[in-house]
Amino acid sequence: MKSRQLAFFTLFLATTTFCAAQDLASFEKRITVKKLPNGLTVLVCERPEAPVFSFFTQVDVGSVQDPQGETGLAHMFEHMAFKGTDKIGTKNYPAEKLALEKVEKIYAQYIYERDKRVGRDDQKVKGLEAAWKAAMKDAQQYVIPNQFPQIIESNGGEGMNASTSYDQTEYFYSFPENRLELWAYLESERFLHPVMREFYTERNVVIEERRMRTDSNPIGRLLEQFTTAAFQAHPYHRPTIGWMPDLNTFSATDASNFFRKYYIPSNMVVAVVGDVKTSTTIPLLEKYFGRIPSQETPDERTTTEPPQNSERRVVLQEQSQPLYLEGYHRPDYRSADDAVYDAIADLMSNGRTSRLYRSLVRDKKIASDSAGFTGLPGNKYPHLFAFYAFPMPGHTTTEMADAIHSEIERLKTEDISDEELKMIKTRAKANLLRSLGNNEGLASELTLFQTRYGDWRELFHAVDRIDKVSKADIRRVAQQTFVATNRTVGVIETATPAKGDSTQGGAQ
Amino acid sequence: MKKHSLALLACLVFAFFAIPSAFPQATDWTKIAIPPLPAFHPQQPKRIELANGMIIFLQEDHELPLIDGSMRIRGGSISEPANKIGMLDLYGEVWRNGGTKSQTGDQLDDFLEARAAKVETNNAPDSTSISFSCLKEDFDDVFKIFNDLLRAPEFRADKLDLAQKEMNDAISRRNDDASGIAQRESAKLAYGANNPYVRQAEYATVAAVTREDLVNWHKTHVYPNRIILGIVGDFDSGALEAKLRAAFGDWARGPDWTKPEIDFHSAKPGYYLVLKDDVNQSSIDMVELGIKRENPDYYATQVFNEAFGGGFSSRLFKSIRTAQGLAYGVGGGIGSSFDHPGVVRFQMGTKSVSTVDAINAIYKEIDDLPSHPITDEEIKNAKDSILNAFVFRFDSPAKILFEKMTYEFYGLPLDYLEHYQAAVEKVTKEQVAEAAAKYIHRDQLAVLVVGNTAEFGKPLTTLGSVTNIDITIPPPPSAASAEKAPTSSNPEGKALALKVAQALGGLDKIKTVKSVHTVLAENEANGSPVPIDVTIVYPDKMHVSIPIATGTITVIVTPTLGMMSAEGGGIKDLSDSQKKENSEQIRRDLLFLAQHADDPAFIFAANGSEKIGNVDAAIVDVSGAGVTMRWYVDPSNGRVLSETYTAMGQSGPFQGQTDLSDWTTTEGITLPGTHTNKQDGKVSSVVKTTSIQFNPKIDPKLFDKPVGDGKPAQ
Repeated sequence: MKSRQLAFFTLFLATTTFCAAQDLASFEKRITVKKLPNGLTVLVCERPEAPVFSFFTQVDVGSVQDPQGETGLAHMFEHMAFKGTDKIGTKNYPAEKLALEKVEKIYAQYIYERDKRVGRDDQKVKGLEAAWKAAMKDAQQYVIPNQFPQIIESNGGEGMNASTSYDQTEYFYSFPENRLELWAYLESERFLHPVMREFYTERNVVIEERRMRTDSNPIGRLLEQFTTAAFQAHPYHRPTIGWMPDLNTFSATDASNFFRKYYIPSNMVVAVVGDVKTSTTIPLLEKYFGRIPSQETPDERTTTEPPQNSERRVVLQEQSQPLYLEGYHRPDYRSADDAVYDAIADLMSNGRTSRLYRSLVRDKKIASDSAGFTGLPGNKYPHLFAFYAFPMPGHTTTEMADAIHSEIERLKTEDISDEELKMIKTRAKANLLRSLGNNEGLASELTLFQTRYGDWRELFHAVDRIDKVSKADIRRVAQQTFVATNRTVGVIETATPAKGDSTQGGAQ
Repeated sequence: MKKHSLALLACLVFAFFAIPSAFPQATDWTKIAIPPLPAFHPQQPKRIELANGMIIFLQEDHELPLIDGSMRIRGGSISEPANKIGMLDLYGEVWRNGGTKSQTGDQLDDFLEARAAKVETNNAPDSTSISFSCLKEDFDDVFKIFNDLLRAPEFRADKLDLAQKEMNDAISRRNDDASGIAQRESAKLAYGANNPYVRQAEYATVAAVTREDLVNWHKTHVYPNRIILGIVGDFDSGALEAKLRAAFGDWARGPDWTKPEIDFHSAKPGYYLVLKDDVNQSSIDMVELGIKRENPDYYATQVFNEAFGGGFSSRLFKSIRTAQGLAYGVGGGIGSSFDHPGVVRFQMGTKSVSTVDAINAIYKEIDDLPSHPITDEEIKNAKDSILNAFVFRFDSPAKILFEKMTYEFYGLPLDYLEHYQAAVEKVTKEQVAEAAAKYIHRDQLAVLVVGNTAEFGKPLTTLGSVTNIDITIPPPPSAASAEKAPTSSNPEGKALALKVAQALGGLDKIKTVKSVHTVLAENEANGSPVPIDVTIVYPDKMHVSIPIATGTITVIVTPTLGMMSAEGGGIKDLSDSQKKENSEQIRRDLLFLAQHADDPAFIFAANGSEKIGNVDAAIVDVSGAGVTMRWYVDPSNGRVLSETYTAMGQSGPFQGQTDLSDWTTTEGITLPGTHTNKQDGKVSSVVKTTSIQFNPKIDPKLFDKPVGDGKPAQ
C-alpha cells in the first residue's frame, strides 16, 4: 500500500500511458541486491501487502550441463535436494554415511560388471545387484523419510516445488513471514550438506516422471524427437528428463560430483519478496547463505550449434490426432534482436487479434489453435523460434505448414500496421505491470533477470527494448530467420487404422 | 565462511551429543525462534445489495493501476438439455466472440487488444461468468463493452459455427492423452455416466445446438437477482458504486434460479479397463462418491486428506513414491464440493508392469487404517500444515474478494474462513479415524486403469473381474446425415438398385455368389504395396491374412469371434468397436448389397444427383443388414462410381469414401479392380484386385481361433 503514493498514484493524472521507468523507480526503492563474499547474490524486495514472503533460489545450471552419458542428472539432483541434510532426514548420520558409501561402492561394481562389453559374468551381475539392493536396505534404516519437506509443510510452506530446465534450476515456496529465519536455515542447509539418501528409489520416481511426460504422451514424444533433431552439436539436443539408459545407470556419486561442480555460490541468486525488512533480512541471508564455501567457476563451455543448411523433418505415426510444429534457429537472449523476436511472437500469437489465430482459426477454419513462440527449448544459448498448429478434423499438417508459411511470408514482405506495432508495445507494458502484483512471480522474474543480465533492472528495460522495435526490424529479422534451410519440422500423423492395429496389437 | 553462525554452532553441539544416540533427537532447526505472526486484518470488500437482488463486492487495491472484475451468474451446464450437451460450452465461447448488437466480436478484439484489456465469458457446471481486466485509465471504455455484452449480446452465427468446429476438434482429440482419459472416465464412474456434472459432449449434441438456444439461454438466465459481481483494483469504491448503481439499478428482477435435481449413482465396484497400447505407464484412478462441504465431518476429512494423501509427508506419497518408487504422481483423499457430493479419489501413474502391485499398494494403505489410524503426530503435522498455510487463503485483496464471492454464491456465512480455522483446530484423532472409516470403502471403489495390458506384469483379472470401457468416439452427425438411414425405398431407388445388379452380371447370376476369395494389393498413402488375402462368406464371416516383415497377421471375424493374431506373437481380441467395424465391412460390400436389390428387407432410396467427375451420378441411399451407406451410380451403365459411409478408425469414426474404377469381368461378374479409399476426404489407401475367385473351396477350420500361438493378450 505504501508504494501507491510513491509511484502509482500520480501516474495517470498527467498522461494516458504509463511507462516502465516509473515502475522501475518504485522498485529501486524497495529492492536491495548484495553479492556476498562467497559469490552468492541475494536480493530482497519489500512488498508489505500481507504477512508472507516468497523466495526463489535460481541456480544457473541446467540439463545443458549434464555430463556425457549422464543425461537427466541436473534434474535428478533437483529431486535429491528434497531428501534432507546430514541433520534432517536421518536418525544417525555417521552410521548412515557409512551405509551410503557402501551402497555406492557396490553399485559401481555392479554397473562395471553389467556394462562390460567383453567377458561379462551374468552370475556376478546378479550377485552384485542383490548386494547393492541389500546395501540400500541397510542404509534405509537410518532414514526419516521426507523429513525435509515435512518441516516446510507443517510450517505452512505453500507452493513448495522446484523445476529443472535446459538452462536453469529453480527452488521455491512461500512461508508466513515469521518463518524467515527457519527458511534461511533450511534453504542454505540444503545446498551446504545435501545427502544422497534414497537415491535409487528416487531415480525410479524420475523414471516414472519420464514415462508420464514423454513416453506415454504423443506430444511429449514429438517434442523430444523434434528438439533432438533440431540440435546436433549443442547440448540442447539431449532431453532434460534424461535418456532412459542414462537414468538406469548414473549414480548418487555422479549426482554429488555434479552438485559440487555446479552448485557453487557464484552460480546462485536467492531472492526474497514480501513482507520483510531489508535491514534485518540482508544480515540473515549473509549469516546463512554466506556459509556456502566459494569455489572456482567450472568450465561451462558448450559447443555452439553450427548453422543449419538443410531442412530436417521428424514424422511420428501415432494413434493420436495430427499436430504440426516447426522451428527456426535464432541467437540467444543477449542478441540485439531479442526484443524483435518477442514482438514477432506477440504479433503472431497473442489473443484473438493475432495473425495466426485470425488466419488459421478464424478465417480459414483449418486449425483449432496456432501460435508462434520463442525460447524452445531454452533461451540461454542459441535456440529456436517455433510455430505450431493443431489441424481441425479433416485438415492436414501440410495445410498447416502452408498457412503458417504464408503468414511468415507476410512478415517478410509487408510492414506490420501502425496499430499492430502500437498494440505489441502497449501489451508488453501491461504484461509487465500485471506481473508485479504477486510475490512468487516477482521472486521468479527478479532472480532470472539478475542471473541472466547481472541486473534485475533488465526486467523493466526489456519493455524499453520492445518499445524501440521498428517495422523494418521485424521484416529484417523474419527474412534472416524464417528460411527453409534453417527449419526443423516435427509432425504427428494419425497412423492408418488397419495396419497400425495389426503391427502394434497382439504381437508383443 | 562465517564461523559464529548460531545455527552452525548449535549444529556442532548437537552433532557432538547425537553421534552415539540411536533415537531421534531434536535438531537445530527446532531451535530457530518462530515469532508470533503479527495480527493481520486484511481489508474486506464492501458488499452492496441492489434492490433488484444483484450482489456487488468492491475491493480496493491501489498497488498497481489495474482494475479486474468478474460476474458470476447462476445456472450452467448441469441445466443444459441432454441432447445438447456442450451447449453451455458453446454459450461461454459465443457470448464473447459473437459480439454485441453494435459491435462484432472481431471489433471488440481490436478495441480491447489495442488497450491490453480483456473481456471474457465462461461457463461452469452451475454458473456462467463474464469478466474483465484493464488498465485503470481504460475502465470506462472496457466497462461499457462488459455491460453491452451482458445486456445485449448478439451470438452471431458465424462464431457459433467456429465454436462448434473447435469443439469437434476437442472431441476428436479427447482420447489422445491417457491421463485425460483417466480423469474423464473415472469421474463418470464416480457420478454415473449420464450425471450432468460429468457427461460429455459428442459430435451429435454439439451439432444440435442452434443460435436460438444461446439467445434463449441468455434471455431466461441472466437476471440481476442471479448475479454476484466482484471488482478489485485501483478505484474509489464510492465513485464506482455510483457508476454501478447507474448501470444496473433499473434492471428488472427475473425469476429466481432453481437448481436441478441431480442423481449421483456411482458405478458398481470393481475393475474397469481402457486399453491404450501407446503408453508405458498406467493411469490409475480409484473412486467412489465423496461428501458435501456442509457435512460436519468435512473438517476431519481435511485433516485426514492432508495426512493420508496430501503433500510430500502424506502416507501415500511416503509409501508409494518415496519408499517404493512406484509413481511420480500419487495422492488422493475424501473429496468434497460445495453443493453436491465430491469424489473420494486415489490416483497415480505407474509403469505398466507394476500396475497391479501399485493398486495393491494403495489397498494396503487403506487396509492399514483401522489397525494403524492416523497418529497424533501425523494429525499435528497435518493441522500445522493447514493452519500455518492459512494466511495464504487471504494474502491478496483479490483472493479475499473471490473467497467472499464463493461463499455468497453457495450461501455460506461470509466469515466462513474464520469458522474454518477454528473447526480444523478442534478436530480430534477419533474424528479423523471415524471419517476415514465412514467415507473410504475399499470394497466400494471403482478402480479404473488406462493402460497397455500387453505390458502388465500381472493381469488385472488377478484382482477381480474386469469391465472393458469402450471409449470409441460416436460418429459425427454430418457423416451420419450424409447417409441418413432412409425409411423406405422409392421406385427410382429400386430401379437403380436393379440396374446396379444388372451391371455386375445380373441379379440371378450374382445371387449364386455365397463366398469370395480375393487377393488384393494395398498401397497406403506413402508405402509399397502389401498383398492381402481375404476370404469372405456372406453375410458375416471374414478371414484376412497380411504378410509383414516378422510373419503373418491374421484377422478373423465371425458372429462369435473377433480376433487378431501375429505369427510368433500373441492373439488379441478385437475390441467391440473393431469387431463391429470389420463385420460391417463385409456387409458394405457392393456385391453383397446388390444381391439384395429385390429384397424388401433392404431399402434403396433415390435421393437426387451429384456430379462425380463428368457424370451426373444418381444418389442412392442404401440401408439393410445393419449398414447404411450411399451409392453414387452412373445412370448410363449402372456402375457405382463412389460409395460413402461412416467407418470406425483407430482414433474414432471417420467419413469414409471409396471410389470404384477399373471394372473387370471375372467368371461373368463385373467388379471394380481398383478401390480408392479416402478418410475425411484424404486418400488413405489404393487397393487393386490381383485375383478373385467366387465360391472357393474353404477350409472348414479357416474361421476357427488359432491355438497355442504365443501368450494370450489380456
